[in-house]
This record gives sequence, structure tokens and C-alpha cells, in this order.
Amino acid sequence: MPMFFDAWHFDGQSAVRRNVEIEARGHQFYLREQDKQSGPFDFADLRFLENKADTKVYGLEGRDGWRLGLRGNVPSELVPMLPAAKTYGGLIDRLGLGKASLVFAGISAAVVAVVLFSPQWLAPLVPSSVEQKLGDALVGDFGGRFCDTPQGKAALAKLTRSLDDNPQDLQVEVANIDMLNAVALPGGKVLLFQGLLSQAKSPDEVAGVLAHEIGHVRERHVMQGLLRQMGLAVVLGGFDGSGGSTLNSMLSTTYTRDSEREADERSLQALKRANISPVGTADFFNRLAAMDGSGDIKDRQARTMASYSSSHPLSDERRKLFENAVVKGAAYKPALTPDEWRELKTMCAQDKDVKSGWGFDIE
Amino acid sequence: MTEHQGKAPSAVTFHGSWTDFAKIALPNVLLTLVTLGIYRFWATTRERQYLWSHTRFIDEQLEWTGRGIELFIGFVMVFFLLGLPLVIMQLVINGLVFQGQPLLAGIIIFAMIMFVFYLTGLAYFRALRYRLSRTYWRGIRGGSDDEGFTYGFSYIWKNVVAAIPLYLLYPWASMSLWNERWSKMSFGPYQFQSDADWKALMKRYLLFYLVPFLLFVGAIMIGVSAAASGAGGTPFSTAGGVAAAVMIIFGVLGIYILMPLAALLYYSKFMRVAIGALRIGDLEFDFTARSPDWILYWLGNLAIWMLAYGAAFAPFSIFIAADPTQFAQQLEAGESILSFGLVIGILVAIIPIAFASSIIRYRRWKFFVVHTEAFGEVNLDRMTQSTTQSASHGEGLLDAFDVGAI
Ligand SMILES: [Zn+2]
Repeated sequence: MPMFFDAWHFDGQSAVRRNVEIEARGHQFYLREQDKQSGPFDFADLRFLENKADTKVYGLEGRDGWRLGLRGNVPSELVPMLPAAKTYGGLIDRLGLGKASLVFAGISAAVVAVVLFSPQWLAPLVPSSVEQKLGDALVGDFGGRFCDTPQGKAALAKLTRSLDDNPQDLQVEVANIDMLNAVALPGGKVLLFQGLLSQAKSPDEVAGVLAHEIGHVRERHVMQGLLRQMGLAVVLGGFDGSGGSTLNSMLSTTYTRDSEREADERSLQALKRANISPVGTADFFNRLAAMDGSGDIKDRQARTMASYSSSHPLSDERRKLFENAVVKGAAYKPALTPDEWRELKTMCAQDKDVKSGWGFDIE
Repeated sequence: MTEHQGKAPSAVTFHGSWTDFAKIALPNVLLTLVTLGIYRFWATTRERQYLWSHTRFIDEQLEWTGRGIELFIGFVMVFFLLGLPLVIMQLVINGLVFQGQPLLAGIIIFAMIMFVFYLTGLAYFRALRYRLSRTYWRGIRGGSDDEGFTYGFSYIWKNVVAAIPLYLLYPWASMSLWNERWSKMSFGPYQFQSDADWKALMKRYLLFYLVPFLLFVGAIMIGVSAAASGAGGTPFSTAGGVAAAVMIIFGVLGIYILMPLAALLYYSKFMRVAIGALRIGDLEFDFTARSPDWILYWLGNLAIWMLAYGAAFAPFSIFIAADPTQFAQQLEAGESILSFGLVIGILVAIIPIAFASSIIRYRRWKFFVVHTEAFGEVNLDRMTQSTTQSASHGEGLLDAFDVGAI
């Protein structure tokens, strides 16, 4: 028993608009226009496209440009055969805008939480060989800028040994660069910059900074930071413009600060075990804080390059932390003997082969 | 069956209202926010569906058939095929500099810049092709048989040639690229043709080009007169001080008002010449927006942005005004509760800005549609379906480089 309905139609072959009658036969239909007829088409192949003023427009699966428009109220006999109208499409229409938003917000919060927290237990799962290779790829031999004299190296090794029980998985180097900084890199690499050594007044100072960087290595902060940064970049990559990157730096800075606190704790413990006074480290932070904000171009370059390692927020609190750790009347011993300290401090000056600066300095 | 179309009423008309559009834009902002930005591809699609379906050509509305998933796939492709390798290259370059090989690093950086340049050209082309292939009128769509790979090279060499005489040939490059791009597009069985003449742009371009020089000369003249009149006196209490202040005002005026104005004058002429030279089948186009229209349009956009940024930053200013020193201290100490508050603050600040950019897109579309005219006739029998291939992914590249389609 066929049923007839009025509609307009484009066949996708030409731009001519046709006024047609839909002849429904079970799950199929024909389109009739005076003496012409097309079909049969399956109702199941119809796709809802849009609401155009008072008209519902449908397309046909596999037919480019095929359109069928039903004006006004669709006859009730035809309604069950036609695909439902869509506003947002799929999931959101089914749940409703409010509920769908809540569901999405929940999922998003969970994803961000996973990206923020999972590096803590993911980082230790990264094989140390991979981390080693990554560190080598990033730094290599630092363009021949690592300083090396037998006495200086011996002093550095002694210092490292006194601060860590497993110095064999650490690679501590002095880089011949005039910069007041130190970094921990993937693969247990710790770089002390020559600027730090030249300005240091005692080996105790260097010990505190070195212990801090070793703390980063032992807490796997470097790998954690890398994973977190990459994760946030992926998750917040959907935002365009500066919104995503602002959120990214916001979230990761919070973690950087936590890491710094942990590394400072580690440093204090190591100094205590080695019976080295924290006063020197407090002095160091004091000097660093004074320099904060005055970063010259070299410094900024260095900071950009070390951006995937760790940044050190400079503040008074850290100085206080180390000052307060000083035990009155304790019998501290210096981290190195005067001879060893001199050898370490002058290692770069004594090393004739070492390159200096950044390589693009005009010197 | 032939439908004729005279000069008036306009063949291209817009029937939307921004309040109706806002009913689409606001849920879009909400959904984009809660999906960490992923929904924006579907948001774009819904926006375009509204804009296209409220644009009428002769007697029938346009139809946008692009889908959110296409744009999303395009974005993901660019993210993994381009974004990730670029990040890795960045690390490699850092490593090379660390290891003292700045020359090699320089060569790689140059190659990367050229590659990105090529892709930018490709992106312009692909975006236009994608948009035409998803635009239907009376069941017929547009497209292109060209993949755009040669256009990418044209984009490089024409821009390089334009830059050699101190960018004086920029109008030639942009116009010739416009012609090349559109000549490879089609709608239905008809190929677009474009032979716009760049020389018509030179007067406006030279005006834009000379504004900085004129400003510089003006500043020097004021400076000289200031030095002459203010010599020996204390600064800011004499004519010299006043002249210095005038000079600063002059500079600010130049950079923030005269430069954009000159650019707008040039762009206005460009669009008039470029669209005016566009033809397809028996149809010719015209773009009627003159400089005053552009200035009003631009001022309107400026006002919308200012309102949006005002709304975005208002909550923060209250935050800071309550207790600035405590705020600074807590920020320095990196208290996590506060960071959480800030994160929420930034998320909320995204709302007015995202809404404003949506309204700006509406204004842009409306501006173009209202000022576009078409003359000639369309033979509906001969207007048959396009045989062009249609790419299944959207404007990922375009998205990545943040460039416009036309
Ligand atoms: Zn640190």
C-alpha cells in the first residue's frame, strides 16, 4: 500500500530543483516527478543534515549532493522511517547539553590528573639505558667544554662520593661556561658550571648545590618533568592561542617548585650525613637571589637550553631553609681540603684542551 | 531552465542574526572548555553550518557539509606528522649547539624554516580547496583537482622574489598567488578564473610602505626643533620637553593608528581588485566594501576585543586588588591552592575571549557576504556535479599555521 508525500529534491547530478512526491513502499521509497521516477532508495540510507527554516533536509548515503527537503510538519506516517534530527550530534544529543558537559568536564579533569600524577611512577619505569642515551643525545661531551685534570677530577669524585652512596651511576662534570648555575640532565648527568665554582667562597657551597642536583637525579625529577611537559603539551594542545600554554606553564611550574623543595630536602640530608655545614649553601642562595632578574643574554640562553632539565626559583625561603638547618656548635668538617678545593676551582684554567663559552661567541 | 539575475537585488545575501548565532556560539564555548579544547573542531563546524545556511546565492542557501571529525583528524595528523617532529628537531638543535656544532644547527634551522614556509603555502591552498569541496549549492559542490604541491613552491619563490627589492614587490606576490590559487579551484563543472592586476595596488602599497619613513622624518623634524628651542633649559619644563612629549604621542599614534590604518587601506583595495577579477562560468564578482566600511568593521572588532579582554581580566584584578602583597608572596611561594585558583581563573577567562572570537568570525563572514555581488547568469541544467576528489581530512595544516582561507 504506497503512501505519497510532497517534497523538494536535488539529485546531486545537476542544480535543477525538482518538486517530487515521495512514494513510500515498506522500508523503501521512490521519488516521482510528473512522468519521471527515481529509486528505489532505502529509508535506512537517509541522513539528517539540517533544519533549514521550516524544512528538514536529508542526504542519501553514497550519493554526493543528493538532497531531499520536507517542508512543514512531517506526516506522522513518515516520521518513524526518517532518521532523527540532530543538534549537536551523537553523544551530546543523547545526554543533553548539561549532562554531557558534566561528563566531559569529569573526563578532562581525570585526564589532566593522570598527566600530572602519573610521571611520578612512570619515570622510574623508563629504562636507565634509554635515559642514558637521551642524556648523551642532548649533551654529548658538551662540545669539549668539560674540564679535566687528574687532581680536579679526583676532588670532584671525592665530593660526589661524600654526598651519594652510589656515585658510579652519576656523571658529574664541570662545564667551562661562566654561568652561576648547575643542572641535572637525563641519565644521571649533573653539570656544574665554572661560573658557580669561580664565585663559590668554599667547597661547602658547591657541596650543597651538587647535593641538590643529585637529589633531582635520585628523585627522577628530570624524567618526570619531561614526561609531564610532553603529556600536558598533548592534553592541552587542543586549546588554540595562548590559553593552553598559559595553563601548561601554570601547572608545570607548581610541580617544578615541589621538585625543588624535594631536592633541597635531599641536599640537606646529604650534607648532614657528610657532616658538611649548610651555611655555604645558604650563602650561595643569598648571592643567587641578589642576581635574580639581572639575567644577561648569556644567562638567558643558558636558561632556555636547560629548560628541559630543572629551573631554580630563587627566593629567600631557600636561604632560610639552609640557614635554619645549621646546628649550633656542631663539629662540621670542610667538604674538601684546601688543596683539593684549589684543584677543583682551577681545573678549567689548568686544562689546556678545554673549549670555552658557547661556541657562537666572537672570541 | 535558465535563471537570470540582474544588478539588484544582490545575488549574494545574508539572513543571519547575531543573537541566533550566539545561541550556537555559547554552547560551543562551554563544550570547548570542558573538553580541553577538543570540541572546537565540532564548534567550527556548527558555526559554519549556521553561516552557510543563512547565506543565500540567488534563490537558494548555501550548505556546509564539513564535519568536526574531519577537522579533528587534520589537526591530529599535523600534530603527529609535523608538531612532534618539529619539537624533536628542536631538541636535536639544542643538542648540536650544546655539542659545539652551531653551523650544522644553523643549516638544520634554515631547512626547517623553508619546510614550514612551503607547508604554509600548501595550507592556504588546501584550506580553500577543503572549504569549496564542503560548500554545496543546490546539491552541487566545488573543489580542485590540484593537490597544491606546486602551489607550495610558488608560495616560496614568489615571496622570496617579493622580498629581494625590500618587499616592494609584495603586492605582485600576493596578487599572483591569489590568481594562481583561485585558477585551480572549481565549482560544479566550471573552473574559476582570476587575472587580477597587481599594479592597481601599488599606490596604496607605497602609502603603507612609506608611513614608517614619514613618521621617522616627522619625528626628526620635531626633534630638531625641540633641540633648537629647548637647548640649555631643563627638560620637560621648556618647549623641548613639550616637543619630546609630542614626539612620543606622535610615535604611539603612528604605530597604533596610522600603521594599521594604512594596512587597512591597502587590504581594502586588495580585496576589491582581487574579488573583482574573479569569474566562473558566466558569473562575475564584485566586492563593494570601500575603505570607510573596512575602518568601521575594524573599529567594531576592536571594541569587541576590548570588551572581551576587560571581562576576562576583571576577576583577576579583583583578586589582586584585594591584597596585592599577599598575592605576590603566595605566588612566589607557589602555594598550590592559589595555583588551583589561578588555573580556574584562566579557564573562566577563556570564556569571553572564545565567545568574542566567535562573534568576530560571524562579523567577518557577514562583512564579506554583504559586500560581495555577482553578475551574469547560471545555467542550472549545465551546472552539474563536481568531479573533483574531496580530501577526507580538513584544515589541519591551516589550523597549525593560523592563517585565513581567502
Ligand atoms: Zn633544582
